[in-house]
Amino acid sequence: MKMFVCIKRVPDTSEADVKIDQTAKNVDSSRFSFGINDADNYAVEEAVLIKEAKGGEITYLCLGPKDADIVIRMALAKGGERAARVEDPRINYRDPLQVAKVLAALIKKEKFDLVMTGCMSSDDSNMSVGVALAEELGVPHAAMVKKVEILDGALKVQRELEGGLSEVVEISLPAVLTIQTGINVPRYAPIRGIREAQKKELKVLKLEDLELSENEVNEAGSQVELLKFYIPEVVSNAEIIEGAPEEKAEVMALKLVKGGLL
Amino acid sequence: MNAEIQSFMEKHDLLGCIQCGRCTGGCPVTVRTNLNVRRFVYDSIDESMLDELAKLSDIWDCTTCNTCAVRCPKGLKPLEVLIGLRGLLVESGIIQPTVRDALESVFQEGNPWKKPRATRLDWAAELEAKIAEPGEKVENLLFVCCTIAYDPKLQGIAQNLVKILHKADVDYGLIGEAETCCSSEVYNLGEAGLFEMMVEDNTELLNSFEAKRIVTISPHCYTTFKSQYPLVKAEIIHYTQLLAELLENNRLELTNELKSKIVFHDPCYLGKKNNIFAEPRYILNQIPGVEVLEFERKKERSLCCEGGGGKMWVETESRKERLAETRVRDARAIGADVLAVACPFCVLTMDDALKAKGLEEEMKVADITEILAKVAV
Amino acid sequence: MGDIFVLAEHRRGELREVSLEMLAAASSVASELGGKVLAVLLGSGVDSFAEKLAGYSDSVLYVDDPLFADYNSEKYQRVMSALISQYNPELVMIAHTTQGVDMAPALAVELKTPYVPDVTGLRFEGGRLQPVKLYYQGKVNADFAFKGKPPYLLTVRESSFLAGEPSKQGTVEKIDSPLKEDIQYRKFVEYIEAAVGDVDISQAEILVAIGRGLKEEKNLPMIEDLAAAINGVIAGSRAATDAGWLTHDRQVGTSGKNVKPKVYIAIGISGAFQHLAGMKAAKTIIAINKDPNAPIFSVADYAIVDDLFKVVPKLTEKLKELRG
Repeated sequence: MKMFVCIKRVPDTSEADVKIDQTAKNVDSSRFSFGINDADNYAVEEAVLIKEAKGGEITYLCLGPKDADIVIRMALAKGGERAARVEDPRINYRDPLQVAKVLAALIKKEKFDLVMTGCMSSDDSNMSVGVALAEELGVPHAAMVKKVEILDGALKVQRELEGGLSEVVEISLPAVLTIQTGINVPRYAPIRGIREAQKKELKVLKLEDLELSENEVNEAGSQVELLKFYIPEVVSNAEIIEGAPEEKAEVMALKLVKGGLL
Repeated sequence: MNAEIQSFMEKHDLLGCIQCGRCTGGCPVTVRTNLNVRRFVYDSIDESMLDELAKLSDIWDCTTCNTCAVRCPKGLKPLEVLIGLRGLLVESGIIQPTVRDALESVFQEGNPWKKPRATRLDWAAELEAKIAEPGEKVENLLFVCCTIAYDPKLQGIAQNLVKILHKADVDYGLIGEAETCCSSEVYNLGEAGLFEMMVEDNTELLNSFEAKRIVTISPHCYTTFKSQYPLVKAEIIHYTQLLAELLENNRLELTNELKSKIVFHDPCYLGKKNNIFAEPRYILNQIPGVEVLEFERKKERSLCCEGGGGKMWVETESRKERLAETRVRDARAIGADVLAVACPFCVLTMDDALKAKGLEEEMKVADITEILAKVAV
Repeated sequence: MGDIFVLAEHRRGELREVSLEMLAAASSVASELGGKVLAVLLGSGVDSFAEKLAGYSDSVLYVDDPLFADYNSEKYQRVMSALISQYNPELVMIAHTTQGVDMAPALAVELKTPYVPDVTGLRFEGGRLQPVKLYYQGKVNADFAFKGKPPYLLTVRESSFLAGEPSKQGTVEKIDSPLKEDIQYRKFVEYIEAAVGDVDISQAEILVAIGRGLKEEKNLPMIEDLAAAINGVIAGSRAATDAGWLTHDRQVGTSGKNVKPKVYIAIGISGAFQHLAGMKAAKTIIAINKDPNAPIFSVADYAIVDDLFKVVPKLTEKLKELRG
């Protein structure tokens, strides 16, 4: 199985105090910790498992700065042949359709069986790149995959629906899958492996290497415009529920059911 | 999974073991788990068994308290066999997600708690603490420890220590954001490769400061720097040694009285690993009003709190009373108001144990810095 | 021009609430766009859904054909593409659900439309439509505007809008399926229910977690009632598992499991660092603890500072009432 896995380096903002910078179109990331996007980590593991079971090779693709190299090496250490990272200040990383275009440019000249991405990145939560990529490549896809079974020329996959239900679909290869967390247990890449992975090929590319014109992937060429970031009203601090115990219970129940939290 | 066959047996001198059983006999966790370290030493001689042995959950019950090594008549270190087996598992990559996360975090952010490096000094925000400059002379380079720096429950230890050092006008300096995990637990979790890398990088970092001494707050950092970092130039001491020194030289005035019955719990990594017993007791005895009590199991026989040896990231399967719970019960039984500790892991495990036993109203767990700060600052 | 398409979502005999939520959102901007709200429904044997949708839209367009007995993103994409070409809506709304995200981005690429996913708010400002979405695990809001030409495509997050009550009397029009033949390269096989009795708290959507504050195992039934009322799974801090109230596989924290549920209700949990590390990424955290300084409140979205023994039973009662 010739596989491509798309990975992204993201910040962990679950506990962080997120501050918006002066441009109002970016956040101050100086105090964040970074790592591989969680869902992508599961995609990496799935690719490695498939390779161990069926043979093949894995190429990792990443759009990001040099700091992302460590994330790529960790993936290579787990089991991959080579990687390519696209770094170009002209690329608009916020538009998932444009990101998909860049990835497609990397992939479409190659023969491949399977492309996997994480189903969602924790910073943008767009859940869009993988499926858009499938359309760019003109191949079938399945999103939010929890289980992969390889058939002859096809895949049988289990997709996670809401409420604990799953759906099984069969799609023909080559295909794109977006992988849901929990599909497997990502392994650890010991340092020894990461050191060896330093020897594997990691090409750093610019737009010119991809035969893409600037306008296809830059902010000016995007069909949507980010106007501004701002802090939502009641998020950073807990909303304190007031009243007697019974009143608190009632308010919370209403929020859960009618406020759509459930 | 590739086991380095020949070298495992040689590395741990497995054939030197006479199977006397003093190791298992003294192992504190055997009251609540099935860990039989003597058996592991024996079984590991058969190379073909190594992969299987490495998958047993028992090997994670070991807290690396060192009792077995202290007791071994042949001078062997049975705990290292268990760490070696953990290493086989780590090399395979198939390890518990909690261990994986801790190791990846050390590699990427310099601490095992998945916290950003950039917030490592947040605990010191209100203190006007001195940050050491590489190349500038500093007498006491303070190594805080990841767990203390990031855990809100423990940040007070570092804060209290800094306040004491200010009061005593001590020449000290913090490392700052560059401070990176001593990796004692990385070693104990079996990631030898990462440990070696951390030793190399940390040695370079620590040597970049013109420090006469490196003062650690955690006994784990102390033990690791002292015994596993051969090329660090500065002398390594534990903060209790520094505080004892200050008191001996009358650099700290203990004006307030503290009427309290305090029992000191010897941390394994201070006591069993390094024979540092006197200094913490000396400090407590200097405090007016304090009555220092002793456990029956004291000093080398101290009961491990089960915080070290990777246990912050791997639970035992046993449902029996935790050793820390036994310890707090014993502390209460001898009439102590305060259970004094000098290790961040002991603070965490003992404090949890105190709550599990419902004893918070009757007794407190406190680090020595907290106790001393009450009367010295 | 100015019309809004809303693709209804249904599954196994149920019309999903998000369909009505989207219709309500569409209605809120329809007058500014100057067009009608059209609900689009694809299915087999879905007449009753069409009728229900009519209460929330100006018009319902539906295809009732065995080809659509089960969801298939490829089929849906073909039909949506054809209908959009034919009817020329200005705005197209699809649910940001597993099924929605399986199709919408592909549709956006195919039609080369301006596209904003996971929208939680919708405004009309300065003469143009401004979708709002969240970034960075919900900590930052972002306003967007469309630059390109319509149709504009949005996927809408569930529970971002309130469906409200039916207030319209839309026309219902059954149309022929623009798709005439089955698709070979993607087939629906079957549904699989979640296994009953398996506990993997890291995969649960709703967790009810207990801590030392529960005091005794005999207080567990109160928690079980609450969990049952919201289809939640019980988990706990180390204190709860240490005390033997719960098995270790339900422990949340650095030496237990990492969880990222939709809702995490922390009951009697103080929020030790090692516990927070295991659950802080939950989407909505509700904390009930009588100690106002409990660290759990630093990560909570909703804080109930009160006696859990008074709050929890009432909460369960009210939830049961509301959910019917």
